[in-house]
Amino acid sequence: MSQASPSSAAASVAPVRFSLRRVWTLAYATMTQLMRMKILPFLLLFCALVAAMGFGFSTINPEQQLSQFKTMSLGVLQVFSIVFGIVATALLLPKDLEDRTLYTILSKPVPRFDYLLGKLLGVLMLIASGLVIIDAVLSLILWLQQSMLFASAVSQLHSENQDSPEAVAQMREIVARQGLTWNLHWAVWAIFLKAAVVTTVALLLSCIASSTLFTIVITFCITIIGHGHAMIREFIFQPNLGSTATRIATFLLAAICPDLAQFDVVDSVANGEIVPWIAVYEMTGIAALYMTVYLFVTHLVFVEKEL
Amino acid sequence: MKRKLQAAAVLLIFGVLKLPLEQRVTHDLRTMHLVDEPLHLGVKGNMGQMGLAAAFGGLRGLIATVFQLRAHVEFTRVNWAQVDKYYGFVTQLQPRNARYWEEASWHMAYNAASYYLYNKELKSGLRGTLYHDYVKRGLDILEEGLKIMPDNPRLWQKLGDLHWNRSKDFKASGDAYLSSFQHGGLNFTERFAGFAYAQANDPDSWAKGYAILKKLYAEKKATPGLIEFLKMLEQNLHIPAAQRIPDAGPVRTIPTPQSGPLRP
Repeated sequence: MSQASPSSAAASVAPVRFSLRRVWTLAYATMTQLMRMKILPFLLLFCALVAAMGFGFSTINPEQQLSQFKTMSLGVLQVFSIVFGIVATALLLPKDLEDRTLYTILSKPVPRFDYLLGKLLGVLMLIASGLVIIDAVLSLILWLQQSMLFASAVSQLHSENQDSPEAVAQMREIVARQGLTWNLHWAVWAIFLKAAVVTTVALLLSCIASSTLFTIVITFCITIIGHGHAMIREFIFQPNLGSTATRIATFLLAAICPDLAQFDVVDSVANGEIVPWIAVYEMTGIAALYMTVYLFVTHLVFVEKEL
Repeated sequence: MKRKLQAAAVLLIFGVLKLPLEQRVTHDLRTMHLVDEPLHLGVKGNMGQMGLAAAFGGLRGLIATVFQLRAHVEFTRVNWAQVDKYYGFVTQLQPRNARYWEEASWHMAYNAASYYLYNKELKSGLRGTLYHDYVKRGLDILEEGLKIMPDNPRLWQKLGDLHWNRSKDFKASGDAYLSSFQHGGLNFTERFAGFAYAQANDPDSWAKGYAILKKLYAEKKATPGLIEFLKMLEQNLHIPAAQRIPDAGPVRTIPTPQSGPLRP
């Protein structure tokens, strides 16, 4: 009839609750840890590259120059955010294991979920900060370039005696459509959402895998498959195509990978398309759904992981 | 092990449930013209590794820009076949970007066509043939773009310009300008439709042109050119004197289209 004393029983069963403050501390520490990996000089280099690209294109017309600038900058930004998200996340867990930081943290009353969420938020905060800085630089350069190109186009029309109000109005409309608009920021937001989903996938894989290289390679593969997800779905929904084994394999692939092409609004934005609110809601909603489920699965894997 | 099985089950169930949702979101975004249809490689030429990167890397815009820059390099080398090829890739990668269709057509119908027309190393017959072939290529490019974006006023306007300046098909030019105006093009496209119809060879087009220009005149949107064409049409359509506009203006008795592209 031996019973544990009330105090020892309480100590063994008392659950450690989820703490936002703890998650924030972990996220901040992760961000600092990544900052030490010389991310800032890379960011500055990228900004300089964007600035140089803004004025470096050969031009046939102002619209072409503005559009090329936007397409190139946003494309490079997309690559930067995805590469950074994958590599940084893949390095985090092995580095914490190597430095023994993981044991120090988890030996304290820190639930593993808090740890995972803190790590993920840290990476996402750094990606978001980078994107905000680059977005600001991009907007400034675009605005400057837009003003300069409009002035030069009008003066050229004037010198050719073609500066009728209609011609100037058309030029203004073209330059304004291709210049700085809110849509540019929505494109950057879409880039962030895509990077966030890829980062969550990388976190899941880094919990399963034992090697950093494996995590990086497989996440890149999933990223590539994710961009062709619509084609995979088309194949699945087509009856009479492929053998049963192929269809099952394709189905599994489609079920596991996220559809990353849903966030590919960058090209349309560079072409001057307007991004409606409903599109922003849909993209944000589906990204949140992917992240929630993948994070939950990561937690299920990580909670049982022997460290 | 139990948790790992749970994780696999969650991933699979979520994977099944997400498919219709992804299909719906993709459909919505495509309807809003924000996301392009998947790229079917090998349909119109081999883009190689760049094409694969575009298709599976989410970098279609970036790759299209790279191809456009390559096309620009070929343009400076006056290599028109390569310019056409690269713009083919560009328009395939970004089919909803009117600017690319417009530029591809401009390179063919204006730059390439003029290059051959004024190339004194070629025999005159060949120069004419090549000129017409490249103008036709420019028209084909615009028409192909209009199949994808039939409501794009800018492409209609460029088609009107091309028929006016190059093929000299003023009826087709008028139709294209009018279509541009009807799809939200700038106001001058309506006036240009009237001007183009006025220079066509058939009375039906003259009547259309007259109706447009008379309406603009009544709306007090007359320009010197409008008055000139209106007076010409009044004469060609035998409008009774009482219904003619009171303005004095130079009267052209016959349409005087240019015989071809002129050099200063």
